[in-house]
Amino acid sequence: MRMGIFLLKRLGYSIFVLLGLSILVFIIARIMPGDPARLALGPRAPEWAVQRVRESMYLDKPLYAQYVYWLRDFVRGDFGESLFTRRDVATDIKEFLPATIELALFSGAIMAVFGILLGSISARYSNTWVDNVVRVGSYVGVCTPSFIFAVFFLLAFGYVLHILPSIGRLSAGVTKPPVITGMIIFDGLITGNFRAVGDTLWHLIMPGVALALGGMSQEARITRSAMSDNLKKDYIAAERAQGIPERVINLRYLLKPSLIPTVSILGLDFAALLANAFIVELIFNWPGMSRYGISAMLRKDLNAIIAVIMVMGVMFIVVNIIVDIVVSFLDPRIRLGAERSK
Amino acid sequence: MRKSMVMLVCLIGVGLLSFPLVAGGILRYTQSFPTNIDPALGSDYSSTRTLTILYDTLVYPDTSGVPQPHVAERWDISADGKVWTFYLRSGVTFHDGTEVTAEDVAFSVDRILAIGEGWSYLFEGRIEKAEAVDKYTVKIYLTEPFGPFLTILYKLYIANKDLITVNIESPGPYGEFGDYGRGYLVSHDAGSGPYMIKEVSLGEFVLMERYPWYWSYVAPKAPNEVKQIGTTEAVTIKTMMSGQELEISDQWQAQESLQALDRLEGVDIAKLSLGGVYHYMIHTRKPPTDDVHFRKAMAFATDYNTIVTHIHPGFTQARGPVSASTPGFDPTTFQYSYNLDKALEELKQSKYYDQLDEYLVEIHWISEVPAEEKVALLLQAGFAQIGIKANVVRAPWLSVVEYMAAEDTSPHLVPMFMPSDFPEAGALLHSRYHSVSARSFQQNEWLLDPEYDRMIEEALATSDSEARFAKYAELQHYIADLCPTLFLVDDISQHAYQAAYLDWPAARGEGIPIIGYDLDARWIQIDTEKQH
Repeated sequence: MRMGIFLLKRLGYSIFVLLGLSILVFIIARIMPGDPARLALGPRAPEWAVQRVRESMYLDKPLYAQYVYWLRDFVRGDFGESLFTRRDVATDIKEFLPATIELALFSGAIMAVFGILLGSISARYSNTWVDNVVRVGSYVGVCTPSFIFAVFFLLAFGYVLHILPSIGRLSAGVTKPPVITGMIIFDGLITGNFRAVGDTLWHLIMPGVALALGGMSQEARITRSAMSDNLKKDYIAAERAQGIPERVINLRYLLKPSLIPTVSILGLDFAALLANAFIVELIFNWPGMSRYGISAMLRKDLNAIIAVIMVMGVMFIVVNIIVDIVVSFLDPRIRLGAERSK
Repeated sequence: MRKSMVMLVCLIGVGLLSFPLVAGGILRYTQSFPTNIDPALGSDYSSTRTLTILYDTLVYPDTSGVPQPHVAERWDISADGKVWTFYLRSGVTFHDGTEVTAEDVAFSVDRILAIGEGWSYLFEGRIEKAEAVDKYTVKIYLTEPFGPFLTILYKLYIANKDLITVNIESPGPYGEFGDYGRGYLVSHDAGSGPYMIKEVSLGEFVLMERYPWYWSYVAPKAPNEVKQIGTTEAVTIKTMMSGQELEISDQWQAQESLQALDRLEGVDIAKLSLGGVYHYMIHTRKPPTDDVHFRKAMAFATDYNTIVTHIHPGFTQARGPVSASTPGFDPTTFQYSYNLDKALEELKQSKYYDQLDEYLVEIHWISEVPAEEKVALLLQAGFAQIGIKANVVRAPWLSVVEYMAAEDTSPHLVPMFMPSDFPEAGALLHSRYHSVSARSFQQNEWLLDPEYDRMIEEALATSDSEARFAKYAELQHYIADLCPTLFLVDDISQHAYQAAYLDWPAARGEGIPIIGYDLDARWIQIDTEKQH
């Protein structure tokens, strides 16, 4: 019950955050140079056709009126037409978002599993060559942008070895499952099209790993650091004195509290994946929303820019709420704190 | 029984003979994202290349760009040059099997004019109306005579009226026509061309397959499928080319990437001329570039040889305002060359010669095109040698377009890659220098010359092509003498392609020099035994 109230409060705050975000993005998008309608229709399109687009987007109205119209339509679920793809932005997002979420989930899973695993190993073998290798690897991972990994993987596994597919989500000849979620892996599992599931996983390896390495390294470093700190705590010494097996101490008493900072950062890293996937999507011709958003920005596609940023904003908020919930389960002090504050 | 067997064998034989022989693998090429396959919306390279093979047109260009009968088997023109009557051939079918008729042509004209996007600017103000006289005869009424009319019909794609009509969503922005089928045509085609849509994954690819009942010639080993892939990333292109996952690259690859692709086994670089030019536009109404001698001094201080050998290798130096590959180009037009003595001679005749220190010429370059900085710096260095002070300014394209919207904010020099709207010299001569294009990105010169306007309008209204081309020649001399532009190079579209198993007429100089037609898959043949 108390958790429910806590969530409702968070959602309430989130509405103000989104409103603020929408105003900020709306203004920034509109002060960029260039007439978006003219840009969309081309320099030689007749003026009446350009004017029709301006009117349909209320660009002939004052800025505050434009915002009010936009907000009204947005609440109704009408994001307007993309000047870039010439379709409803909602249709575009429906098509592009699942591809990005699929990529982000795959990368997020790699980040979480291997980041925590490597961090735990590093902490367990602290100050040995294993720890040193993981730490140096983590530094490299954190400071290297994902597109460097993407280019490296493409050249190594696509250009030289020819063992992984270079682009796209599915190989030619593999039937795409009917769209249910838009994520081929889930749609394939639901409809029993396991060939498509396997093929998509195969296509996900290069972009997914390239995108995950930075976050994974971050998670490994944080997990190691937290576990190393906790190892020095008195309660661990007490548990050892009581003869509790090392494996139980590591998993139950050391890892669980050490995961709290990792989970918090993992949530942020996961949300950032959604927005930062741009170059990776571009290199692997992955038809995702991050690439769509950047393309829209370069073409001053106002409706698409705002819709993409709002969707990203919602994703950040949702992920943060999930992180809060997970952390509250990992850390009883937070749960108890919330209860006391009631 | 025996008679029945003979009849059955005959029927199978007829069936086999009537089903066209299709053999040819897949042709994959990259283009920038997205591709618009609606014939009234698409007009960029990516869209036009797709529309060219999905749709038929009334006329089709030969390798010189001259219109030849296609869906229209013949035509005639009224004495005043304002009414064109086209007689369609029978038996041409859309991809749904229905026949192409005059109604479809008239509908396609109405639709593109009503939507006002894509290639509509070619027809806007020129076509008054289109009218189906009978099933196979259509009349197109022009507002005024327009000599190169047939060449703009290369961009009038004939769409299936019935198919679009049943797929209209109402209400929409076009009154009784709802959305005019725009929603449907995002991922479907309504054409009669040699290829039809198989699958569209927006942002990823457009996959087309051969239309087996196509009425006109298609090369024997033309591809069964054509896949347009939406990426232009250099490393992705290189990887795909090396693994034979790609047959032809896009034209947006940098010189360094093209050189790397050229080193791959079996890959060559095709250089196509599509009639475009790369020039620097000079403001002719702003001191000191308002002085013709000052402009000529700059033209003679430009090192063209360095541009065509180092910055844009493979390109050729321009000779005047029109590309040498365009019908109507006059090879006797004066060509400026790098000659500092002549540059100084011209500069001394300029009214600004004694005040050079007071003026700073602004050379803009577009930040989205890094190679332009090299050209801008080269110009600056050349000008410095004769005492002209210049400042190189980096600016995003959208900002430059805003500057060019007004005479007083337009910079002294702005670079410009300009394609030709239709394959005739008149296209660039009109779009670049007629007063209607001032205030737009097409003209930084601010020529605003009523005499020139009259001459180009008269040339375009001339029906006889020989007489029209003579007028174009006169205009090219006129412009070269005014020197409102630094005529740098004729634009070349460079593509890496799999020469080992691809026979691409355009790559061996036998293609059609028009956007879209250069990559028309019906002429491209694939040696499937060599294609992995």
